[in-house]
Amino acid sequence: MIEVLTAGGEGILHALSALIPDFKSWGIEWATAAMFAMLMLLLLTGMPLAFVTLLVALIFLLGWFGPAGISLIGSRIFSFVNSFVFVSVPMFVLMAAILDRSGIARDLFDAMRMVGGRLRGGIAIQTLIVAVVLAAMSGIIGGEVVLLGVIALPQMLRLGYDRRLAIGVCCAGGALGTMVPPSIVLIIYGLSANVSIGELFTASFLPGLMLAGFYIAYVLVRAYANHDLAPIPEAGSIPREERLRLLRGIFLPVLVVIFVLGSIYGGIASVTEASAVGVLGVTLSTMIRREFSWGLLMGAAKQTLATVGMIVWIGIGATALVGVFNLMGGLRFVQALITGISENPTVIILFMMLVLFVLGMFLDWVGIALLTVPIFVPIVKDLGYDPIWFGVLFAMNMQVSFLSPPFGPAAFYLKSVAPPDISLGEIFRSLLPFIGLQILAVAVLVAFPGITEVLR
Amino acid sequence: MAEAETHDVAHRDDPGAIPEAGLLGRAVNALGGAFALAILLSAAILIVEVVLRYGFNRPTIWGHETVIFLTAITFLFGGLYVASRDRHIRVVLVYDALGPRARRITDVALSVVNALACLVFALASWQVAEAAMFTPSGEFRFDTTGSAWNPPTPGIIKLFLFVVMVLLTVQFARLAWGYARGPRA
Repeated sequence: MIEVLTAGGEGILHALSALIPDFKSWGIEWATAAMFAMLMLLLLTGMPLAFVTLLVALIFLLGWFGPAGISLIGSRIFSFVNSFVFVSVPMFVLMAAILDRSGIARDLFDAMRMVGGRLRGGIAIQTLIVAVVLAAMSGIIGGEVVLLGVIALPQMLRLGYDRRLAIGVCCAGGALGTMVPPSIVLIIYGLSANVSIGELFTASFLPGLMLAGFYIAYVLVRAYANHDLAPIPEAGSIPREERLRLLRGIFLPVLVVIFVLGSIYGGIASVTEASAVGVLGVTLSTMIRREFSWGLLMGAAKQTLATVGMIVWIGIGATALVGVFNLMGGLRFVQALITGISENPTVIILFMMLVLFVLGMFLDWVGIALLTVPIFVPIVKDLGYDPIWFGVLFAMNMQVSFLSPPFGPAAFYLKSVAPPDISLGEIFRSLLPFIGLQILAVAVLVAFPGITEVLR
Repeated sequence: MAEAETHDVAHRDDPGAIPEAGLLGRAVNALGGAFALAILLSAAILIVEVVLRYGFNRPTIWGHETVIFLTAITFLFGGLYVASRDRHIRVVLVYDALGPRARRITDVALSVVNALACLVFALASWQVAEAAMFTPSGEFRFDTTGSAWNPPTPGIIKLFLFVVMVLLTVQFARLAWGYARGPRA
């Protein structure tokens, strides 16, 4: 029975590889071009990214190596899913999913009223600070943009804030989740570049705060330059008892952040262990807040299953494709192409940024990370740059991709909860200045790589 | 805030499998609960491990390997789960511009192509699974991790990859049929 299955399978694979052209005889140049064209065409049909890359990997494996090499993909996928560091991804997603379902974010926002106070643009700044704290608790963006869109956007609109400013703050703030550690983008980068995720987290802390600082500065400048954009809210100070009650809203989230980041930075626990501590932290918070229920936990776990199902399968397809392309000698070929464009290393780095920027408009970040990092990181190392610094730069680039039209996911998340009269087009227009600030942050990181080394 | 509340409720609703995914899709979604539990169990084991390691300096030998196993099969099952809900990430630039008829044809065609890709992949993963289950002489034994605890989890994960690929093939075939048949009550 087993033998029949095996022999039958091999027979089909042989028959299939006879149907596929012998790509090896085309040479790597044309084979690479054909692969790229095939990827683009299949993607445009609307075929899921995960299966596009898997299919192209299979076609080129059979066409270049014949049926003998076929078990390669299976082995690669096994090593991809069978990793302890990768366990942190579902944990951080679970943490965010529980957070989404609790009132923690809402209380945090209310408490931050004391910070925003009667500052011009205070609610927008309050929103951004909440975004940073939420970002330090979870590493994904969808939930955060939705939370800010539900909690902060209506309040800003009610108080007569400029619509575009309010929309931009919610999307850009929500996207910070992948820049401020713990970030899933950095975990995936660390896995595929084979560098320490703890170091990536340390290095990205300051740049993440810097980007948030840019946003805050932008809000202040706009608000004070044009008083119509952000009216000062109702006067009157908050009574003392109210202040104490509000303070409690800050206490739990900050404790969780200290637990998670403290155990990573303190070198006490691995990233995966810290992620589980984070799950425990938010779960205990929901218990203290009397929000905990088995339904909440299972709902969060099911959402996690669906989210990691999407992320991991894009990774499975990409890892298969990169494995095949590497064996074909394609990685070296493309690396030579890229390093050949200039003698000046900065130009090469900028070119890679441009590639990331363009890919970011169309592809999902997981796909981008797993497809480009194996090509880019060896170049970065050859040029004498620090792969950790490049990882932070990568995460900053992905910030842009979350906001940039036509597929910036942050815009779609906000659209799903924004009042119906706010169109997708208006959201994207609102995001343009924030994209400008992100590009400025990328430029600062390229010009002053030392920013990533301060804390290390 | 009424709007926000409705959203919160909507956010928590489980959309489940799409109708075109058929009985298999519904079964996969029902089974999703078990894998959701596996995620929670992994979190619990990791927390116990942290307490034992840093609190009592007595780490377990089974904690890490169990967690890796649980998440690996969850990752693999997740692809099937997402397929039955039609939630895999795709570029809809062209798709969204199509009319209903062209969309339906695209749905059918893409499901067929996906099924074929998964079929070929199932054949490929069978070779990996077979090597992980049988010695060259044909004796049955699962690949083990080679650690002190030495569980047969690598062999099980490789076999599970094959099973998931077969189910994905069937699921996409069922989706193609579901799309071709069109919406029914």
